[in-house]
Amino acid sequence: MLFPKWVNTVPTVLAMGGGGGALMTVAMVWYFFTPKFWVMGYMPEQPGAGFNHQIHAGKLGMDCRYCHTHIEESPEANIPHVSVCYGCHAEGRLNPRSYNADRVEFVRTAYENDEPIQWRRVHKLPDYVRNFPHHVHLQAGVSCYSCHGQIVGMPVVYQAESLSMGWCLECHRAPEDHLVPPDKVTELTWVESELSERRSMNRRERRVHTSDLIAALREAPPENCGACHH
Amino acid sequence: MSVEHPDQRTVEQLLGREPESSQPAPHDPGDGSLIDDPALEAPLVLGGRSLHEVTEIVCGYAERPAPKWWLPALLVSASVAGLGTMMILYLIITGVGVWGLNNQVNWAWDITNFVFWIGIGHAGTLISAILCLFKQKWRTAVNRSAEAMTIFAVTCAGIYPAIHVGRIWFIWMVFPIPNANAIWPNFRSPLLWDVFAVSTYATVSTLFWYMGMLPDFATLRDRADRRLRRAMASGGARSLPDTLRAYIYGVFALGWRFSNRHWHRYEVAYLILAGISTPLVLSVHSIVSFDFATSVVPGWHTTIFPPYFVAGAIFGGFAMVLLLLIPARELLPNFKDLLTLRHIENMAKILLVTGMMVGFAYAMEFFVAWYGANEFEFYVFMFNRAVPDWLHESGAPYWWAYWTMIFCNVVSPQVFWFRRCRQDVRIVWGVALLVTIGMWFERFVIIVTSLHRGWLPAQWHMFYPTIVDILTFVGTFGIFMTLFLLFLKFLPIFPMAEIKAVMPQADPHPDPEEAPAMAGARGDDPEAAGGAAPAPAPAHPEEGR
Repeated sequence: MLFPKWVNTVPTVLAMGGGGGALMTVAMVWYFFTPKFWVMGYMPEQPGAGFNHQIHAGKLGMDCRYCHTHIEESPEANIPHVSVCYGCHAEGRLNPRSYNADRVEFVRTAYENDEPIQWRRVHKLPDYVRNFPHHVHLQAGVSCYSCHGQIVGMPVVYQAESLSMGWCLECHRAPEDHLVPPDKVTELTWVESELSERRSMNRRERRVHTSDLIAALREAPPENCGACHH
Repeated sequence: MSVEHPDQRTVEQLLGREPESSQPAPHDPGDGSLIDDPALEAPLVLGGRSLHEVTEIVCGYAERPAPKWWLPALLVSASVAGLGTMMILYLIITGVGVWGLNNQVNWAWDITNFVFWIGIGHAGTLISAILCLFKQKWRTAVNRSAEAMTIFAVTCAGIYPAIHVGRIWFIWMVFPIPNANAIWPNFRSPLLWDVFAVSTYATVSTLFWYMGMLPDFATLRDRADRRLRRAMASGGARSLPDTLRAYIYGVFALGWRFSNRHWHRYEVAYLILAGISTPLVLSVHSIVSFDFATSVVPGWHTTIFPPYFVAGAIFGGFAMVLLLLIPARELLPNFKDLLTLRHIENMAKILLVTGMMVGFAYAMEFFVAWYGANEFEFYVFMFNRAVPDWLHESGAPYWWAYWTMIFCNVVSPQVFWFRRCRQDVRIVWGVALLVTIGMWFERFVIIVTSLHRGWLPAQWHMFYPTIVDILTFVGTFGIFMTLFLLFLKFLPIFPMAEIKAVMPQADPHPDPEEAPAMAGARGDDPEAAGGAAPAPAPAHPEEGR
């Protein structure tokens, strides 16, 4: 006999191994080769003591636009100048109580030296979609919450969503899942409960629920390539 | 009765009162396969070969040392293939700007070569599938090599669409793979249909080719194994080539043991694959033609394209089969016994028929352009293609390409109306060469002459190929020839089992007078019982035709 008897098992082993390997490859690519795996949860360390959104926007109830002043008319969501911080954190004003008074020292130092604080960017989009227009989305009624997550609950800001193209398209194809009245886009706790309530509806009910908001859109959320990739 | 009834003689023969076939065999100028008498079946294997001799001939190509010309030919082809590969690498590293494409002529040699190569493959599928379903016995001599050619041609064809996208690392996007970008190919685009058509075609052709080779791999394995055993029995050393053969062919034979059950399933699978391939012969090139026909470019936007492309593909494919097999027939020993002049003649007839089909299509394009009263379409046919620039102020600088195509594809096959031309291999080879050139020009004419003049004269640009264009095209010929030469040396280039089934020995009830081709038959092949039934002893072994 040219081939020993065990060779008969080779096709079975190959088929099972090949099939299993293929399945494994698909599963691994499916799980690992996505922005969901790579960038979700990105939480860079910020300079100084950082900026605690939970305290400022949550406990103190500051509006997002107090610092991010231009989001309603600019594509860029601006990071505030250090003077905005200093407005509250100047020597002798609004010091964090007692135990760690020098936490905001870095703000004062930066202000005195007329230097910007080197905040680290958390949400990065690739160059070819760098023109992501914040103002257009806010005016349409997309809340900060839909893309940035529950910021008012974050002591340190992290990336809550994948920001992949498929993720963008999910909302562009079903705006009824995310649109809220434009004057409420920054009321993140309200938005969270509203959107979670909406998840209990079916798609048609959501459509009806948001029909006024969708009707008020200047155009349907675009799905063509040129809308984002100029 | 003064006048004998026409059937009287038959009756007499049947009653045994009159000897049969007193008619002398008609004069035959060729090798004995060109019998014109419809009552006689032309032999498909010449030289009175026995079943065993067929095995010896076919296995010999893979087992005996290669002919002297083989290694130099392989080296030349492989060098050309390497040159082409370097051009492709250069293109990938530098960008598609190394080709002569410009804003107006944005498809040129790349897609021309793609359509050219993909068309060439069609003869193999036609021979293996359609001729199988129509029970054309002569296909057995050419189907293996034509199928091999199909696969090699599709390999060459597949290179072009992949590299012409420029960013080849994004080529996976042509397949509908779920991804985080939620990007899908455009399912309404014929370019995507093309991906499916060509990949299906490549898969089915490869399966068909490989499955057909299983019994022949097993024969090669058994022969090598037997030689090894003999060497061991006589105390000699195991030869390395035979050991390699036994194991490599053995792996590829997938445990084929020539059992009845194997043959039964083989036949069924063969029929199923023939059934799957048959629509592919028509669909693949139809879909390739949609790449053009569904666009709105005058000269492309015509409904005649699908049938016209299919006819052209079969035309070009058979030309390539002839182009390769006629030299192989001369250069390889005993090849002529298995591939007779009749095979060549049959293929020449197919060239004539399909050549007239494409000729008809060329004429209809003009008719429709005129009758459809679309001035732009008419302009393309008249002034972009046919009328030379030295004859009319709007004439095309590409007139020579158009008329080369007409001469090669329409005029040159007309010589096959004459029997002498169909039966002379040199003429057939020459015409096949012209047809191959003509079919390349057909695609060039369709693509470049339609594109090179936009709607505004400011968009008029000529296409000039760069050296990279040219060497890439030549390089794919190198790849094709390298693969074909390797095939000639290492694989069973004839389907032994199928050939044996169409030999007279396979007929269980031979007419003793009508089975002269069995002369010299020494019974069945001991180590490779092909598909043939055991042959009865020949009645007149010394008689041969």
